[in-house]
Amino acid sequence: MAAGENIVTFLAQQMIAAAVPLVMAGIGELVAELAGVINIGIEGLMLTGCIAAYTAASCGYGSIGLCAGILGAMALAAMFATVAVSGRADQIVCGAAINILAVGASGTAWAVFQNWRQKHDMSVSLPHGAGFHKWPLPFLSRTPFFGPALFDQYTLCYVTILLGILVWWLLRYARLGLIIRSLGDFPEACQAAGIRVRAWRWGAVLFAGGCAGAAGAYLSIMRTHSFAADMTGGQGFVVLALVIFGRWNLFGLTAGCLLFGFINALQQVLQTARYTAHNRLLESLQHIPFQWFQMLPYAAALLALAVMAKNRPGPRALGRAWPPETPGE
Amino acid sequence: MMEIRNISKRFGIFRALHNVSMRVQAGEINAVVGENGAGKTTLMNILFGLLPPDAGTILFNGAPVRITSPAVARRMGIGMVHQHFKLAPALSAMENIILLAGRGLISGGRRLVAARAAEWQNRLGWRLPLDEPVSRLAIGQRQRVEIIQALCAGGKLLILDEPTASLAPMEVEDLFAALRSLAASGTAVLFISHKLAQVTEICRRITILRRGDAVYTGELAGLTHAMLAEKMIGGNVPQAISRPPPPVGGEARLALADVTVKREASIVLHHVSLQVHSGQIVGIAGVEGNGQSALVECIADPTLPAAGKMTLSTTRDSAPQRTGRRQLLAIIPEDRRTDGLVPGLSVTANMLLKRHHQPPFARWGFLRFSTWRSFTLRRMQEFDIRCPDLDTPVGALSGGNQQKLVLARELSDSPEFILAVNPTRGLDITATAFVMNQLVRARNAGAAVLLIHADLDELLAVSDRVAVMYEGQLSDTDWPHTSRESIGRLMLGVRA
Amino acid sequence: MKIRQSLLSVGATVMACAAAFGAVLLVLWACGYPPLGILHRWLIGAVGNSYYISNSLAETCPLLLTGLAAGIAFRSGVLNIGAQGQFLIGAMVSVGLATRWQVTPAVMPTIVIAVVGGAVGGGLWAVLAGALERWRGVPVVLSTILLNFVAFYLVEIILSGPLQAHGTSAPQSAEIQGRYWLPVLIKFSSLHIGVLLAFCLAALLYVVNRQTVFGFQTLVTGLNPRAAQLAGIPVARQQMTVIFVSGGLAGLGGAFQVLGVTHFLIANFGSYGYAGIAVALLGRLNPLGIAFSALFFGMLDTGALRVEESSLGLPHNIADVVKGTVLLVMLLLLAFINRRRISPTAKVDAAATEGR
Repeated sequence: MAAGENIVTFLAQQMIAAAVPLVMAGIGELVAELAGVINIGIEGLMLTGCIAAYTAASCGYGSIGLCAGILGAMALAAMFATVAVSGRADQIVCGAAINILAVGASGTAWAVFQNWRQKHDMSVSLPHGAGFHKWPLPFLSRTPFFGPALFDQYTLCYVTILLGILVWWLLRYARLGLIIRSLGDFPEACQAAGIRVRAWRWGAVLFAGGCAGAAGAYLSIMRTHSFAADMTGGQGFVVLALVIFGRWNLFGLTAGCLLFGFINALQQVLQTARYTAHNRLLESLQHIPFQWFQMLPYAAALLALAVMAKNRPGPRALGRAWPPETPGE
Repeated sequence: MMEIRNISKRFGIFRALHNVSMRVQAGEINAVVGENGAGKTTLMNILFGLLPPDAGTILFNGAPVRITSPAVARRMGIGMVHQHFKLAPALSAMENIILLAGRGLISGGRRLVAARAAEWQNRLGWRLPLDEPVSRLAIGQRQRVEIIQALCAGGKLLILDEPTASLAPMEVEDLFAALRSLAASGTAVLFISHKLAQVTEICRRITILRRGDAVYTGELAGLTHAMLAEKMIGGNVPQAISRPPPPVGGEARLALADVTVKREASIVLHHVSLQVHSGQIVGIAGVEGNGQSALVECIADPTLPAAGKMTLSTTRDSAPQRTGRRQLLAIIPEDRRTDGLVPGLSVTANMLLKRHHQPPFARWGFLRFSTWRSFTLRRMQEFDIRCPDLDTPVGALSGGNQQKLVLARELSDSPEFILAVNPTRGLDITATAFVMNQLVRARNAGAAVLLIHADLDELLAVSDRVAVMYEGQLSDTDWPHTSRESIGRLMLGVRA
Repeated sequence: MKIRQSLLSVGATVMACAAAFGAVLLVLWACGYPPLGILHRWLIGAVGNSYYISNSLAETCPLLLTGLAAGIAFRSGVLNIGAQGQFLIGAMVSVGLATRWQVTPAVMPTIVIAVVGGAVGGGLWAVLAGALERWRGVPVVLSTILLNFVAFYLVEIILSGPLQAHGTSAPQSAEIQGRYWLPVLIKFSSLHIGVLLAFCLAALLYVVNRQTVFGFQTLVTGLNPRAAQLAGIPVARQQMTVIFVSGGLAGLGGAFQVLGVTHFLIANFGSYGYAGIAVALLGRLNPLGIAFSALFFGMLDTGALRVEESSLGLPHNIADVVKGTVLLVMLLLLAFINRRRISPTAKVDAAATEGR
């Protein structure tokens, strides 16, 4: 990635690669929020997806890892739903609890797993074939520029694109979408229509859990073949911000994710460029501490919110428990 | 078509319904009347599957049925038009109809439902903008959407809960015409209301509920209005207190000059000018959602952005910076549970909400609870508020007692300016009379009262001047020299 | 009535703690770890001797302050979950004022300035989030979370720049000179004076909450901001004050931790801010409750260190697992209690007012 045009391709590819988990988790969170449930534990769900996928993939099959990632996160999402949807507890608070639990549990599980690996004399890296590798689509991947960016990616990238289109279509045109949107807008309407609000919200939360789990699995067994305790590094929180940034709209969300994918890619390029710089611009960047670049996504998310959030209320019933509070509590 | 036999329902020790029986015939308009709290809502919830009855049976087309959920009710052909519409505001009217009347998760029978909706529109002679989001529809239009929704879902029996509560008089006529034509085509209509006059205009059979008992059920013919009222209220009708003519030349307490308020890029108040003088009740009529809430917020909180000028004057010499602007104002907000009270806090805390930081209730920033108790006890006696003890959370009180608490807090120190918004909502006739009499009493004592009320009859009964609000504009009338009808027309934006 | 309710809530909390602990041990047992052995080491590590006890108390201090920070904010409806960032900023300002940016060489003034500076720094960092909500409509929940990450990298930048210790390339500060450390209560222990002050602050906040106009107003605002606004309470100003105090408490926690325990700063400075949320909720937002739950969490943390040291192969993160589980179990229990508490009268009222 030394020469100019290569950098552009590399940036595009890295942008997409970094955006995939954000979009994936974002789709789930978007659906949950449209259904009236905000889950700030999405960071924890992603982390759970990472560790579950990684440990399960150590048996040698990546697909099992992916499934485990999805199921693990869904299990945690089910805990969230039990407390926040069935128990009507505060959603923000439950989400915070899920985060704490996920950080602790993944750390513990990782240590336990390391021990177990040592005891059974397994290698410290994933066995061959357990991690996913890129799957360039035939022909498409060879088109200039767009080819390597869009079609030389991991399987999950394509799945995400398809899922995005499906969810967009369902939300826009299907009665299922009407149900989900009215759940978050005015659950009374669902009740009058004989739709069971809590059951559907459960469904939405589980779906969001599955998406976050897949995104986590992507981080641990696709993009890198490793696990680290702070692997998600706040990406779940960025997703939350991006859902608002995108005004609860799939296109807005995707655009936001791509923007952050780009910032992320740029940050990587700039960081490595510090040591391999050829031109003056990059050289001058050398003197900037690299933490500024690391900070960039979060600061940009804040900035984006400050620009976009004003006067744009989300789903009316977002964060409100169902059935509504009875007096005298 | 439907018959209920000996339905009973209690909540704890409270008897909401007791041995209620009634019959609804196809092709007929039937009515259930009763005061607020007489059990109408409970009955309706039972018929719609939201509450299970404790005892009794429901027969539908001759067969006993158990309505366990709204979905079951709908499948049987019971359609409900709620007083507070159950339409998702962000969805379009058509989407709301599909949500309720459609089946399945994918298309939901979109085409079929749309065709049916069009057919019903034709039959009733309506032309609703079904592709607009519900939030942009007027109240009357929303009600029509709910009716079409119920009909599209195959409703054979249409239950309407207080359908006229927030309609302008002309809209009520239109609604009645539509109901008559529905009944003529074989639909059964059950009309639930507390307004006797309207019931006698449209219904054939009537059931009167009083404190959970069906005191009368049968044909309407041959009963006078007075007999019905006597059955509904059961004895003495509370008297309105006398209202001497307002003093001439009372000074203006509240003056709005050319106030314009924008919210989210749309104008909600449009060059509003208004003066309220002392010793005067100024009534503002209008269908809900025409800018009333903006007007209230604008008066209650002067820090909100608004163009124009608002002045609030007082004769008291107490320096405003010490007491604060809020102490000059008495505000009886529209929704006592979300705006007026803190349901989770005690009676005492709610009673002191407005004054807790002033001496003698607080000193040096510390609260002095001993003064709180005696103050609350006094006010509770004065306004006849009943509650088990002072630490009871306000949310556990009945609606009437909650409203009395708000009144006691706001009115007891003879305020000079009173802002009251729909102050009788959900109250029974005794409590309604109490509230209205309090307002008149304050006016007689020299207060300036601004009354924003959706119930036109109650409004006209106490107001000295009436203005009508329509789409953010305020038009004055020379009530009492104008007719009720022309005010009704103004409420729909039709100028005489 | 009132006594019964508070007993009920204390009972629910204790039950939640026991249940969560039990559940975690059960899972570990299923994974082949000896539950009793773990529990034994945990207890020893938390309260086994005076050394461990003083460590537990010292560990309680930052948890208590971040817990109070979250507690006061949540009580008034400000969802400040950025105690982590405010804690870090507080620690950074404090370590700066005690090392590189020293104002005076005098001992006591330096300590006081460092402590106050840390608190103010944390408070201002929180006010940033408050201002973003007030003027730009950014929800505090999100801005505070994002600011946590911004704070982390900002502190790293400063620790590898102006505050970096000489002779190292790692982002870390110089060690604070011994005389500027917080005085200790018992010699050769980690029990610094900040622990005592934190507990005093908890008592003070308890009084403020219950007895003052400010406490009453924040409660009303938290329960029903619309009613508060209509009742003439200056909600916006109030919430800004609350978020400043909240951030200040978190920053104070950071200052105490760096001046009293670690004596130098790295950005990876423990996750006290996140734990503070759990502490506040476990203490039901009541400052006294928060004091007890902070104590519990402090013992949990120090005990877990001993578990980690032992040859069982479990990391200290196990404490976080217990924390998260405790919180979830308690939320569930509360939901159950609330459902049962909705009394018949409330139902009557609901039925009577439904047709409003």
